[in-house]
Amino acid sequence: MRLLILLILTLAAQARTVLVVTADASDFLLAAGGTIASMTARGDTAILLRVTNDEKNSWDLSPDETARRNGLECAEAAKLLGIGKVVSLGYREGELGGVSPTELRDRIMFYIRLHKPDVLFLPNPHAEYVEVLDRHYAGLAAEEASHTAALRNHQPPFAQVGLETHVTRELYYYAQPFDPRRREPESTATFVPQPKVSDIGAMLDRKIRAALALKTINHAVAMRIRDRLESTGRRLPLLDTVNDASVAKLTEINVRTLAGTGAKGTGFQSAEEFHYAGPDFGVPSKFRK
Amino acid sequence: MKLALVWVPLSILAAPLPKVDPPAGKRFLVIQPHHDDHTTDYGMGGLIARLTRMGYEGWFIRASNDEKDGAHGYPHNDMINLRESEAASRILGMKGVYSFNWRNDYMDPTPLLELRAQVILLIRKHRPDIVLGHDPWGHYDRNPDHRKVARACADAVWMAGLRNVHPEHFELGLEPWRVPHQFLKARVDYGRGHEANAAVELSEADVQRKMKAYSAHRNVYASPAMAKSVRAQLAAKGLKAPELDGMTDEQAAVRIEEWHMDWVSRQRGQENGVRYAEIYWYINEFAHLPGLESYIQKNAVKR
Repeated sequence: MRLLILLILTLAAQARTVLVVTADASDFLLAAGGTIASMTARGDTAILLRVTNDEKNSWDLSPDETARRNGLECAEAAKLLGIGKVVSLGYREGELGGVSPTELRDRIMFYIRLHKPDVLFLPNPHAEYVEVLDRHYAGLAAEEASHTAALRNHQPPFAQVGLETHVTRELYYYAQPFDPRRREPESTATFVPQPKVSDIGAMLDRKIRAALALKTINHAVAMRIRDRLESTGRRLPLLDTVNDASVAKLTEINVRTLAGTGAKGTGFQSAEEFHYAGPDFGVPSKFRK
Repeated sequence: MKLALVWVPLSILAAPLPKVDPPAGKRFLVIQPHHDDHTTDYGMGGLIARLTRMGYEGWFIRASNDEKDGAHGYPHNDMINLRESEAASRILGMKGVYSFNWRNDYMDPTPLLELRAQVILLIRKHRPDIVLGHDPWGHYDRNPDHRKVARACADAVWMAGLRNVHPEHFELGLEPWRVPHQFLKARVDYGRGHEANAAVELSEADVQRKMKAYSAHRNVYASPAMAKSVRAQLAAKGLKAPELDGMTDEQAAVRIEEWHMDWVSRQRGQENGVRYAEIYWYINEFAHLPGLESYIQKNAVKR
């Protein structure tokens, strides 16, 4: 009994706070959902910061209804990954290119100082050929925020209301595998986050269940594929009838294939790829010991 | 301090690229900021010529007003460059040129969402199967117009397919249209971020049209002074180019530019195992779905 209490106390002492920044409802889940689920499963507390309102990502719903459903479904997906809280910044989807980068950075910095995360997940703004540029802009803002959150002269009013500076010790830069050079080590291991692969074999089913919660987005993906194929005289037998079952199957294929791509060359069955900056980041190797 | 420029043949650096045949389709748009971007030496006149030879209809969108390119002063440059762009586009078999007239080389402060809305409108009007343009991920591009138009275009090609984006367009009877294929300009001489992933083979006729289209931009290329300088440099070494004998400096300048276009097309061809080629970053119709692309390619069947 004494041992059990000791174990619980040890685990509780090690529990971390994880802040996940995502541009939209699906990106964090598809690129990093398994790793986030692994962390919450071991007792970490996770918070999701969703930057846009996903008002455009549906097949045939109005912007209001699209935003409403995607908001609810994102919250459900986050819950399935063990994320305890979702905060939506509410920017209009697809329009981050017109938002002040400093404004966005400072809003993310607010939440970094508020929650003082040990781990920050952010869209990798340096990943190339990412189609949805909201992810790029949100990633740039989050990367800057992780830096400025630690600096006293950024947003002095924050300190006036009790939001003290904070250094986040671990950064996971995530992106779906668009960039053909994503596995190449960057120029210097000291000052540039390096490629890292995370085994998600034990969490794959949970990631799939979470992805299935994004019903509106998954349906839109299926309909767009079917529409494109139809317009060029083709069909995908799976999508001859687009219903809950066929959309779910397509979603599962998507998540499993991404996990397989992440695992390629690693010895894992299922994995996710990141660029990672750990506690030693920024410390030249000769000083690390 | 002098800078030494060392040219390293691409063939030493890389294996031949996969050859990509342009997909079957009906229409394409070339979306770039400047009058000559569709005809310069690193692309894309050859591909445009090949597409129109295949029966495609094509339009060129010139996003800037080109007022600074040339020696005739702002308003004259704008009009001369527009006319020459129209002429070059005709040589390549294109249907016409749209000019957005944003201020040349001042496009950094151009509102991205306004520019993107213009592009989305024309994508929905023409419903192109292919868009050609600058690579938005290219590094070291010092031209603000290239960067801004490439970004706007990268958004527009897929956002034009969403019903909740600019729904006012549907009042005109337009419908959402996602552009399935993109060929992005690969400026291999600019380094990382400009690498190509595909080579497009060109015919001799395609290259001939590419050469003529390039030379149509007389306001900025094929300068008689350049030909005069080349002749003087050759003469200083006791040399001459017999093919230029009897030509005026203006005619010789055109010929020299044509040699260059022929050379670069042969060079890209040689690097990729064909006679003539251009190279691009090619994005196919399902590349935006990395977890589903291979499944769709494998399982899609004819209706």
